[in-house]
Amino acid sequence: MSKFFALIRSRYSGILLEPTRVFYLAISLALLIVFTVFSLANPRFFTASNLLNVLRQASPTLISAVAMTIVITLSGIDLSIGSLLAVVAVLSAMALGAGWNALLVVVAVLIIGSGMGAVNGFFAAYQKIPAFIVTLATLSVYRGLALLLTHGYSLPIPPNSPFIFIGRGWVLGVPVPVWIALAVVIIGYIVFYKTPFGLYVTGIGSNEEAVRRAGVNVKRVKFWAYVLSGSLTAIAGMIVAARVAAGSSYIGVGFELTVIASVIVGGTNLFGGEGRMLGTVIGTLLLALISNGLVMIHVSAFYQQVVEGVILLLAIWFNKGASLLGNNKG
Amino acid sequence: MHLLRLEGIEKHFGKIQALRGVDLDLNHGEALGIVGDNGAGKSTLLKIMSGVVMPDHGRIFLDGKDVHFRTPKDARARGIEMVYQDLSLCETLTVAQNVFLGREPVRRLLGVPLLDKKALYDKTQRVLEELRIKIPSIRAQVKNLSGGQRQAVAIGRAVTFKPKILILDEPTAALAVREVQKVLDLINNLKSHNIATILISHRLQDVMTVTDRVVVMYEGKKVAERKTRDLKLEELINLISQSKSAVRGDGSE
Repeated sequence: MSKFFALIRSRYSGILLEPTRVFYLAISLALLIVFTVFSLANPRFFTASNLLNVLRQASPTLISAVAMTIVITLSGIDLSIGSLLAVVAVLSAMALGAGWNALLVVVAVLIIGSGMGAVNGFFAAYQKIPAFIVTLATLSVYRGLALLLTHGYSLPIPPNSPFIFIGRGWVLGVPVPVWIALAVVIIGYIVFYKTPFGLYVTGIGSNEEAVRRAGVNVKRVKFWAYVLSGSLTAIAGMIVAARVAAGSSYIGVGFELTVIASVIVGGTNLFGGEGRMLGTVIGTLLLALISNGLVMIHVSAFYQQVVEGVILLLAIWFNKGASLLGNNKG
Repeated sequence: MHLLRLEGIEKHFGKIQALRGVDLDLNHGEALGIVGDNGAGKSTLLKIMSGVVMPDHGRIFLDGKDVHFRTPKDARARGIEMVYQDLSLCETLTVAQNVFLGREPVRRLLGVPLLDKKALYDKTQRVLEELRIKIPSIRAQVKNLSGGQRQAVAIGRAVTFKPKILILDEPTAALAVREVQKVLDLINNLKSHNIATILISHRLQDVMTVTDRVVVMYEGKKVAERKTRDLKLEELINLISQSKSAVRGDGSE
């Protein structure tokens, strides 16, 4: 593999093979192929209603993926988001069932989600425990909490609650979750590319010690990245709960894998130092389109996880190849 | 008056006596070379001067004032800057982002700090031009630069702190031959900015080229001190390799 890339590099070095450009070319090609194949296989695939449906379903993933892009870029990982999403969904359903005001629920759940992210951040940033272990532990803890809260039942959300609007509403012909995701992406883009925080995130992923020596409070940057992951996943969780009008402890199993795969397919380096926020958007859409397309050509749902895992693996593989392309030392 | 003066610096790590009473002077605008075999105590001495390590005994005077460095921040605040051998650069950030890492210009929009990229690139351009550092593009990621260019970026970054003293740890060790001269020119250049430099290097010909004075260390002691222009390379090699006898014999300069 590396020899192959070395050969390409020596033959066609220069601006044409600038890694970012190669990457966006490749992923656009992948999108085109996906569109063509599924459109030919089922004419209903390439319709406005189906594509809006894909967007709506991809919104929670995209919202969490924005935070995950930041977390992975600083050489971290957050495996707990699927479980965190379940806790949030369950708490929303409980509070709404108890007659809480919908707005109050949103605020309370955002705070709780941030708090759960802060727990990850505290151990990963301040106690220097590898994020992989910390969030693997909280993956278990948070899922357990969701099960304890519901005793394994699914709690309904009153269908007349204004809360439902978050997941099912439409504004100007576009589903509300898509608007929320769009806002999160724009803010995420600005934070990642236009603020010192975003710069430090990339710097930490590249050379943490150098950033620390530059006088930046590295721990604080890391901590807030995990808080961001918790709070954005709280938003994702509310959207999911509102869409299905219920809070179930089994919601969001495997959500972290979908999110991580979307980010990696989007060209963010799994080992940190280089993130692509727009790539995350494209990666999320690509995976969502593939899974929607597979359903539409009647592929068994059991294959979905296989496909997702394989794509994640291929993406990491390609990612390594691409970084070889971009590295002078090869 | 000396810019920097060390008196009787001692340091031990456990049972190992890394420094056994070192005296050292540095004059304004001077380039001082510190040479010696591995384990001579060069890096410990340099860590003491830059505040990374605190000495067990001895005193440090800066412009005649008794100073104590507890952290690298203390040393930096007093005008002592250090370029680490590993350079401390972020490969995936651009040249400009590295030069001003932690001090990037921002403008506030509704209280939110936003990076002022134009100011950043203008400032970086100015700094590099002043030092006559040539980099293909200050918008290039550091990972696309050669070893010599990286060294230049690291030195450029250090100079932006407006130091009185710049300590360079093996700045030419990992460089291609054709790049060494450029870095040496850059170090020479620092004199015209009234920055005193301390150069730690194994490459004796480099030390001979850029320094005004050379200090030879052996087993935690200063065993010789010479003006560079009175020194021949062979003599310096002898001083280093025969420093064992120098410790026992004429410890004087």
